[in-house]
Amino acid sequence: MHNTEAKDRVSMQLHYDVSQHYYQEATLLQEREYQTWLETFIAEDIHYWMPVTERRYAKDKRAEPSPNDMAIINDDYDELKQRVDRLGTGTVWMEDPPSSVRFLLSNIEVFHTDKEDEFVVRCNFITTRHRGQLERSQHVGGRVDLLRKTESGYRLVRRKIVLDARVTEDKNLYIFF
Amino acid sequence: MIDMDKLVDIEKSTQSKQVFWDQGVYDRELERIFGRCWLFLAHESQLQKTGDFFTTKMGEDSVIVVRHTDGSLKAFINSCTHRGNSVCTADSGNTRSFVCNYHGWVYSTDGSLVDVPLKERCYHDDIDMSAMSLPSIRVESYRGFVFGCFDETAPSLVDFLGDWGWYLDTWMVGAGEGAELIGPPSKSILKCNWKVPAENFVGDGYHVGWTHASALEMLGGELGGLAGNRANMPFDELGIQVTTRHGHGFGVIDHAGIGIHDKREGYAKFLQETQPGVAEKLGQPRAELYDGHWNCTTFPNCSFLYGTNIFKVWHPRGPHEIEVWSWVIVHKDMDEDTKKEVVKQAIRSFGTAGTLESDDGDNMVNSTRNNQGRHTRKNTMDSRMGVGHEGPHPDYPGIVGSSFIGETSYRGFYRFYQEIMSADSWDAIRAKDEQWADCFPNKDYWKDRLAAKAKAKGGE
Repeated sequence: MHNTEAKDRVSMQLHYDVSQHYYQEATLLQEREYQTWLETFIAEDIHYWMPVTERRYAKDKRAEPSPNDMAIINDDYDELKQRVDRLGTGTVWMEDPPSSVRFLLSNIEVFHTDKEDEFVVRCNFITTRHRGQLERSQHVGGRVDLLRKTESGYRLVRRKIVLDARVTEDKNLYIFF
Repeated sequence: MIDMDKLVDIEKSTQSKQVFWDQGVYDRELERIFGRCWLFLAHESQLQKTGDFFTTKMGEDSVIVVRHTDGSLKAFINSCTHRGNSVCTADSGNTRSFVCNYHGWVYSTDGSLVDVPLKERCYHDDIDMSAMSLPSIRVESYRGFVFGCFDETAPSLVDFLGDWGWYLDTWMVGAGEGAELIGPPSKSILKCNWKVPAENFVGDGYHVGWTHASALEMLGGELGGLAGNRANMPFDELGIQVTTRHGHGFGVIDHAGIGIHDKREGYAKFLQETQPGVAEKLGQPRAELYDGHWNCTTFPNCSFLYGTNIFKVWHPRGPHEIEVWSWVIVHKDMDEDTKKEVVKQAIRSFGTAGTLESDDGDNMVNSTRNNQGRHTRKNTMDSRMGVGHEGPHPDYPGIVGSSFIGETSYRGFYRFYQEIMSADSWDAIRAKDEQWADCFPNKDYWKDRLAAKAKAKGGE
């Protein structure tokens, strides 16, 4: 499913545009504008995926995790929409008072693909969540995205989120990455 | 000295808040519970070939489980008998031996020490390698689910499960080839005492409507009516709760197995098609449970939701923290597409990022953390819901509670918790095999209730 290959790097202008798009996305999520994020940033054929990656010996030849395997998140549009809709029900006790989530993105690299209107975007992230008085967690990892340029702006088609930690040091990962 | 009669009051159905906080209580749990009970290790489907291994924990001890060359499963402590370093640092894999990174000692897949570098020149051949195997752990499987036990005097796994095995067979045997687990497990940290999720899974149908209001409202379906406890439901007619000899127990919501699954065509069809086979093989009482939604704990720390199909182990890390490991249960007979669908739905609801999973964490953390308060933990916790509305049932073994919302299996969990924490040996526990259910005195509860039901039916 994630077989779209990255080709040449994009121009400085395009890199700037995509970077700005990603910062806008982070701002929307930080401000908890999840519905807007879903409606204006996400393609309807989205695959939003966070695999489980084991610690294996270097000589271990088993395949890397695929979207058919155990995962932490493995959502299509309907499932992602449910995650967003749940936050709007008014009965998510954990988010009242709301958490403070912040997204730090870096190492943004943008590549052309075989399709003129689609781009592979890689970046690193640190996502922090602060809650209550002293509760804080930090998740470090990388994203590999497929981004589609449409008449209404860039839409996210695929997102693979790889966490560096084997054991998540947090009570859950109900966070958008 | 810890007085277990003060920590768990069976008559009043209360527990001291100290059981979620005190280091002394926790130390005794590691010795008397995690040191004496059968603990879940892995599923055989992960360990099919010679040399397949999986590293896990029993209590706070690091353990390797591996398929030995003779085809048997072996388990041992993952700590070199020389200076104690780990002999395996991967989550899983396949190997002919385990080599310690510190000085290069080599162990076979049965845990025996097979090579010591410089043995002749530096040990002058004066080392009895046969006496320096990795400490071995008893291993037994139930329907492909592999458990380990440190205690040579403990009953067999089958006897430890007891009547709980009768219930497990409903889906572990089911109509066909039984069940397996899909991994690798996701892992996360929850800052709560290990018993908080264990008791929640063993018997908390009560929290579902309130804690999970948002997710149930969004999902709708069979369980949508529970959201916010708004629906007027005849709870005594919608399921039961069960506790058994060694604290294992569950609650079942009748015919709601796939209630949490959104995309469910394959799973629904599978259950429908296989249910008659369960009736044929295991009888009608278990066929009735087969399409229910079960919340369960195998004492002490292995919990699962059959139906939703998430399978979890709560590994303790001190009295105030656990590691949560999550797998997904699938039936071996399901086609590949249905298996994939079930895995997706299970993690979407109760995986680390699950829509329902994320409702529970705060409750579990705060139920633990509040006991840091010296005056807070002078108080007790209550589990009296449904006292007296429970007893032996003509069709179902163990003690059966009147509804899936009740605290029968909480009481059964803490009844055995108190017993094993107090008992000096497994012999002392075995000596009470005939009296364990005396604390559930309403022996005629089901007789009376079923008679009244039959009478009402006759009068119609």
